[in-house]
Amino acid sequence: MTLLYLSKLNVFYGANHAVRDLDLQIEEGEIVGLIGANGAGKSTTMMSIMGAVKPRSGAVVFDGRNITGMAPEDVLKLGIAPVMEGRRIFQSLTVGENLRMGAATVADKDQVAKDIERWCILFPILKERYDRPAGNLSGGQQQMVAVARALMSRPRVLLMDEPSLGLAPLIVADIFKLIAELRSLGMTVLLVEQNVRMTLNIADRAYLLNLGRVEFSGTPDQIRAEADIERTYLGGGQTSAPAASPATAS
Amino acid sequence: MGNISRPLVSKWSTPVILIGLCVLVALIAIVRDDAVFLRVVTVMFISVLLAVALQMFMGNSGLGSFGQYAFVAIGAYASLWFGLSEQQKRVTLPDMPESWWIHSQHYPFELAIVAAMIVTGIVGGLIGIAFVRLRGASFTIATFAFLIVINRVALQWEEVTRGSRVVIGVPKQTTLWIAVAWACLAILVAFVFKESPWGLKLRASREDEDAAASIGINVKLMRWIAWTISCAMSAIGGALWAYFIVQFTPNNFYLHETFLIVAMLVIGGAASVSGAVVGAISVALSSEFLRQTENWLNTQRNDGTTIGNLIPFQLIGFTEIVLAVVMISVLILRPSGLLGGRELRFPRGTPQPGVTDLAENIDE
Amino acid sequence: MESISDFVQYLVSSLSVGGLYALMALGLVIVYGISQLINFAYGELIMVAGYGLLIFGRSWLPWLIVAVMSILCAIIFALGMDQIAFKPVRNASPTTMLITSFAVSTLLQNIALLFISPRPRAPRLPSIFVKSVEVVGIRVKIVDVIALAVSIVALIALQIFLRKSIVGLSLRAAADDFTMTRLVGVNANKVIATAFAISGLLAGIVALFWIGRIGQVLPTVGFQPVLIAFIASVVGGLSSIKGAVLGGYILGFLTIGLQTWLPQDVNAYRDAIMFAIVIVMLLVRPEGLIRPAFSRETR
Repeated sequence: MTLLYLSKLNVFYGANHAVRDLDLQIEEGEIVGLIGANGAGKSTTMMSIMGAVKPRSGAVVFDGRNITGMAPEDVLKLGIAPVMEGRRIFQSLTVGENLRMGAATVADKDQVAKDIERWCILFPILKERYDRPAGNLSGGQQQMVAVARALMSRPRVLLMDEPSLGLAPLIVADIFKLIAELRSLGMTVLLVEQNVRMTLNIADRAYLLNLGRVEFSGTPDQIRAEADIERTYLGGGQTSAPAASPATAS
Repeated sequence: MGNISRPLVSKWSTPVILIGLCVLVALIAIVRDDAVFLRVVTVMFISVLLAVALQMFMGNSGLGSFGQYAFVAIGAYASLWFGLSEQQKRVTLPDMPESWWIHSQHYPFELAIVAAMIVTGIVGGLIGIAFVRLRGASFTIATFAFLIVINRVALQWEEVTRGSRVVIGVPKQTTLWIAVAWACLAILVAFVFKESPWGLKLRASREDEDAAASIGINVKLMRWIAWTISCAMSAIGGALWAYFIVQFTPNNFYLHETFLIVAMLVIGGAASVSGAVVGAISVALSSEFLRQTENWLNTQRNDGTTIGNLIPFQLIGFTEIVLAVVMISVLILRPSGLLGGRELRFPRGTPQPGVTDLAENIDE
Repeated sequence: MESISDFVQYLVSSLSVGGLYALMALGLVIVYGISQLINFAYGELIMVAGYGLLIFGRSWLPWLIVAVMSILCAIIFALGMDQIAFKPVRNASPTTMLITSFAVSTLLQNIALLFISPRPRAPRLPSIFVKSVEVVGIRVKIVDVIALAVSIVALIALQIFLRKSIVGLSLRAAADDFTMTRLVGVNANKVIATAFAISGLLAGIVALFWIGRIGQVLPTVGFQPVLIAFIASVVGGLSSIKGAVLGGYILGFLTIGLQTWLPQDVNAYRDAIMFAIVIVMLLVRPEGLIRPAFSRETR
């Protein structure tokens, strides 16, 4: 069943046409990769889904409901939780308090307590550092906190923006393993990444963006099979990428 | 810009208009020949000078200063040190030891103003070296703290200020035309600074200090220059005011005065010299009008006239309430002030977007 | 130090004054933390509560009810100034917000001047504000002991609120990263309104003891407390709750100490010295004695 789809989405930053006629769909239980170079419009796409950016035209439909232009709070309540680029955990709050903040919209206290316990089992590090300020954790651990915090609202779709950014390769592997694990728990994930190889390893399908357009979409195998794409966008493409768009800067 | 001369002509029309406006108001005051109005207009020109001085710093740097009246106070008292004869000092500043070097200094009024300006400029320059490192709200709080420091020191240091007692015996030497002349000079200085390379660089740093620094602008130096000139100009205002009002205490250079001058700048628009001038003139005149209305209503009330009976209590603070409400409304509805950060210009040929863009308001 | 008794007296009055100063600073810091607004009009909230004491005090109501109603007034005014004046300038520069609060402060002061009186008025106060007790030969003012206790209770209650309730957590989270707080589904305006309400509550509590101490209320009654709050929070750390509390207590010990031991003519310069310290702090250690543990994210 299609859980989330975008149709003919157009987003502008002033005169900058950041996302052009973008179509995208995510089935329930899938990991969908959104890949491409810096400034390709990946983050902008994610922000339009979560309501942080208002598209000029086109539609975002979640679970049969048009959510285009809805406020982030409302989108969250419907079941779409973001894991932002740079993790954005609350540094001076403890790990436990971060988790509770993730459930800020949940009224049921028992559910919150149960979920905290559940994620502490899945991410043992959270239990270990539960009463420490989250800012004291390492980058990889902070990423765990960010993911667990997003899960606390019991979302149906997790939007992840560059979870591997700034992490050591070993940690990155852990994070990707974790994302794959989330799928086995029935979570649907939209994964925005520059790390194309790792993304293709775990994704069910992927969209390749270039200059705000979908350049190619398909299964990881199909994408890998396109040698040209590999060379143009996945290899040296990142260094010769166009100047960063506001999407990645914000 | 292809044609250099045209925007230049149009640009320089601003000080011409502003100075013309000042002279016009002064002429009206002369023609009306009404003592009260003359007094109001003279004080108004001192406010114009102070507003322009504050604009020169705040408008170009984007930083807020609540400390201007500290420098006005220093200027006012310094002008007494240099401008009064030894005999006069024995009356006006009786606590000043006669053995002090400053006690024997006596210069003509105009030179005393310049001396006060230099002293204040040095004080402002020194404190400015430290202040220009601060940003945003920290800067404003620091200037506010400085205002309090100067106020408390002036209230206690009887040797140089006569403490909390009113100074007396200051000759009334400031005339309408002297005030107009200094105000016009201030307008010219502020305008020249704004259009100078220094002013341009400083304005470039207003939105984003780091970006300006990254293209090689020495933001702190530009800020310091504007700050120091602004302090020196404020001293002139203090000196002129001292020799016009002739009776005052350190508490005449404090919060209420700070509120008024900031209100003038905010209401007119802090980003342009025209905004400061228009703000100062309109606030000074309208608050005088309000005050007179307030007094008239209070007299009616005391006399128990028909209107007077409608007024339930003595009206005090009515003027400030109106000003504060106007100021808050401007901040909310039109943060760039009445003039929207633009300069008054003669319409000449096609508009020059490149020129007006630079004069945009300080708040996004 | 003459004797143990003098020392205990010094300790009690320093702790009680310090507690009040800590509450004053907290009221400022709690709003600054999430909105970057240094609220000049905070002192006028104290004034509002003071006039509440005066006006409600004329009724037959017991003083404790009068006090609660006065505190409520301060909270209502705090929420009102946020909604009317500060909400519309929330996205403007810190300088603009500061100027706005300066205007709000002037406005409220002059409203009191116009509608109540420029002259000081003495509200009805219970006798505990003047009585002293002698415990094992040491004389202490009852009000000092109460102020000490109330400030400690208030600080602990606030701490519990900030740690345990989701609204309290949201306040701290918003001070860390305002945008992210919205992205976990918290209503931003509600959080800021809560901060203002707490600020009003603290101002109200402070007003009871401040006005109890000086025995009168006038339009400028809030000015001295707001100056104290400035000093304490800049010294302790403008973005740190712990810093505000620490700054308040340091200032309490310092003022009482200077009052006790400094010669009178030097004491006249006390404010000047305090504000010179503020300037030096801003220059040398702008984050205050207590650095925020983590650099704040850009908003």
